[in-house]
Amino acid sequence: MEIQELNDLSPLRVFEESLGGGLGRGNLGVLVSRHGVGKTACLVHLATDKLLRGEHVIHVSFSGNVEHVINWYKEVFREVSDGRSLSDAASVYNNILSNRVVMNFSQENVTIDKVLSSLETLIKHGSFKADAILFDGYKLTVATEDDVRRIKEFSESMNLEVWFSVSPVRADVVYDKYGVPNTMQKYTNLIDVLIGLIYNEERDKVVMTAVKTHEGMVEKPMGVSLDPKTMLISK
Amino acid sequence: MADLQNLRNIGISAHIDSGKTTLSERILYYCNKIHEIHEVRGKDGVGATMDSMELERERGITIASAATNVTWKGTEINVIDTPGHVDFTIEVERSLRVLDGAVLVLCSVGGVQSQSITVDRQMKRYHVPRIAFINKCDRTGANPYRVKKQLVDKLGLNAVLMQIPIGLEERLEGVVDLVSMKALYFDAGPNMDQIREAEIPAELLAEAQAKREELLDGVSMCSDELMEAMLEDNVTEELLSKAIREATIRLELVPVLMGSAYKNKGIQALLDAVVSYLPNPTEVVNRALDLDKNEEEVILQSNDELPPVILAFKLEDGQYGQLTYIRVYQGKVKKGDELYNTRSRKKFRVGRLIRMHSAAMEDLTEAGCGEIAALFGIECASGDTFCDPKLNYSLSSMFVPNPVISLAIKPVDKKAADNMGKALNRFTKEDPTFRTFVDPESNQTIIQGMGELHLEVYVERMKREYKAEVEVGQPEVAYREAITQRADFNYTHKKQTGGSGQYARIAGYIEPLPDPAEGEELKEYEYVDEVKGGSIPTEYIPSCDKGFQTAVKKGSQLGFPVIGVKAVVNDGAWHPVDSSDQAFQTAALGAFREAFEKAKPVILEPIMKVEVVAPNEFQGSVFASINQRRGLIISSTEDNAMCTVLAEVPLSEMFGYSTVLRSLTQGKGEFTMEIGKYGRVPTSVSEQLKKDYQEKRRKEQK
Repeated sequence: MEIQELNDLSPLRVFEESLGGGLGRGNLGVLVSRHGVGKTACLVHLATDKLLRGEHVIHVSFSGNVEHVINWYKEVFREVSDGRSLSDAASVYNNILSNRVVMNFSQENVTIDKVLSSLETLIKHGSFKADAILFDGYKLTVATEDDVRRIKEFSESMNLEVWFSVSPVRADVVYDKYGVPNTMQKYTNLIDVLIGLIYNEERDKVVMTAVKTHEGMVEKPMGVSLDPKTMLISK
Repeated sequence: MADLQNLRNIGISAHIDSGKTTLSERILYYCNKIHEIHEVRGKDGVGATMDSMELERERGITIASAATNVTWKGTEINVIDTPGHVDFTIEVERSLRVLDGAVLVLCSVGGVQSQSITVDRQMKRYHVPRIAFINKCDRTGANPYRVKKQLVDKLGLNAVLMQIPIGLEERLEGVVDLVSMKALYFDAGPNMDQIREAEIPAELLAEAQAKREELLDGVSMCSDELMEAMLEDNVTEELLSKAIREATIRLELVPVLMGSAYKNKGIQALLDAVVSYLPNPTEVVNRALDLDKNEEEVILQSNDELPPVILAFKLEDGQYGQLTYIRVYQGKVKKGDELYNTRSRKKFRVGRLIRMHSAAMEDLTEAGCGEIAALFGIECASGDTFCDPKLNYSLSSMFVPNPVISLAIKPVDKKAADNMGKALNRFTKEDPTFRTFVDPESNQTIIQGMGELHLEVYVERMKREYKAEVEVGQPEVAYREAITQRADFNYTHKKQTGGSGQYARIAGYIEPLPDPAEGEELKEYEYVDEVKGGSIPTEYIPSCDKGFQTAVKKGSQLGFPVIGVKAVVNDGAWHPVDSSDQAFQTAALGAFREAFEKAKPVILEPIMKVEVVAPNEFQGSVFASINQRRGLIISSTEDNAMCTVLAEVPLSEMFGYSTVLRSLTQGKGEFTMEIGKYGRVPTSVSEQLKKDYQEKRRKEQK
């Protein structure tokens, strides 16, 4: 299969459709759930889809292990390309790699200013024309409203999409039926798209619900869920 | 050697500047091999004892690995000092082959850096058990806990702290040994160099206990015996030590020690750990290949009574003449013994047998199993195997990477030319990654190696050690050529004008081999014979193969080898009188040239994996410098004050980068690189390359 066809058939098209045409530049999107539900895989799948469509992506991680992140991409790409028997997969992979940069912050309590200034440095001095930035494991729930506003402004001024995966830090958070913790509420007004991931026992799948879209608080099921084996977005 | 239990062959491997040479120096000092301490970049001009080459002394880096024998509390330890720069990786790999265990030295501030990752990968390849030593705990910003975490995260090792520091940075006083639960200070005795045991300071007791729990947890994962003892609350120091030793030798555990070589802290404890946790020669399985039995694997026995099997792992042309460092794997070697070199198939007699201590030596009458010694005046190359004349074994061949850079050199006068010949002869024997040849077209002497610094060092050594002054040309990159699509050929080679003629016709196609999967190397060439019905007689099929092989050695764009091509022959014609081996070879050559042009040829260049480490404030300059060099930023990691940028940059753009980086970062940035893969040269660049090549050829033909 060729890339074009693979992109057309991707479950991500359904995903975007249920958000009314994707997230869009200058907007913030958030994937939220408990630990271990599969946010990283999901986020990397989002990024891989963008890469396959020729976009430039910066992956921001806070884990201290770049190798680990790179392996995620390798795995997700393998799942995506094997599933559709993409032709000439090895060279496609080598090509898309040049459109991805992993930025890793391993110091504790790094400030959002520092993160944004490093991103700006990369985009300007490194001449990397990013179309989207994905924050994996940013502790958005402990960020201040001001921090989130900065990120929002950054995404507008740089004209790019920003996705977050969020897991609550505190042990005492309460999750609603969509998997959204109550600590998220204070920023909902700054977030354009909020997606909750929760494991549904009956269907034995992680169900994705768009809690907030461009239309406002809608709470509608997305028509996609996470494949229990690969943790990727599937129909 | 009476008792192999009391012998350790260890190496010390690390990132450049993590203080490895200083550490080796201190080990010599504590084992009473030297009587005073010199600093690596000492003001007294003597330099550290292990760096025997003048050049190393001047640059403050270790190039050649000298083997040194020391004794610690009744155990003999052979210390092999290994170079710390990626450009000299072959030296590291060759030393690893002869080691039974290693100490991985890490800087408490810099932590796990690219070099440590490379070295660790090499150690895994050769199954070398290791212990880690976190050095420079006296430096500002020291954090051994973070480094230990990096060992786990970045290298995937089951690293377990054996000690915790008492104070850090300038307040570093000693360490708490978590096995014996004692505080160790290193300030006793008249010279302040003896160890002093004491109770754990009260303020550290809780932490020490917590870390001991971690230690027990980590070790018990690898030892059922310890696990049981823990459940019965009956853990003795001996049992714990034994469990650590066994797990370390099985490569399941990496004990982590710490200290400061510069401040003389923690060295004795490290030596104790080397003896306690690293294997003796009998605990390591060594294999050889039996050349008489189609390279069948043989396991060597650490037994002095058996016929000897010996590896020559290093040659050195020092002040005493030619020295060959050897490791005995089986049997023993005595003065006057006859040995057989299985590569050159020559017999020789053992003359003088010695043991080296850096630049001083001691004569031996024999060297037993597991020992490291040196022979005088043996004609051989490094990596050769010497056996008893009855055997024909080869110790497994070592992986040798292809050189990526070449440099034309020209002697300044007649005398220099003679000396240069001698020097090159010596260097190629010592270092398999260093190659040299005379280019038949330009008549220039070309040297090839693994990087700019690698070649620079050899040019310097030629000047200093052999008095061979040479002029150096521009460094040149080892390009490759490749095709991007299938192209058919149908080529007739005909020369039938009287006398015995030549006739051959071959038809088929060439196509690119598929991209290799991650971690595999691209196959250079594949030949497929699909001829049916005898249109080319069987006897000429290999001739076609030969002709193609000649053709791929030199592509028509830049004259570099063509790689990743599959040649398929499916039809042809022959003549009962005029066809010959030569005719088909020529036809294949012609066919390839014809098809090559149609197959959209491209030029490939070596792409280096580059890692730049610099203070955070220079991140932008580093990004920009990589970007200007057609580089691809893979990742950037920020870690308190420093940022580490990983990138892929074409080798041709990396010339002189060390100078550029130094000026960009006020001397605070450093970088390492190693060959990553071959990548396609962009059209704009390749057009220029082709133009230059044509120009050069025109000049040569004049």
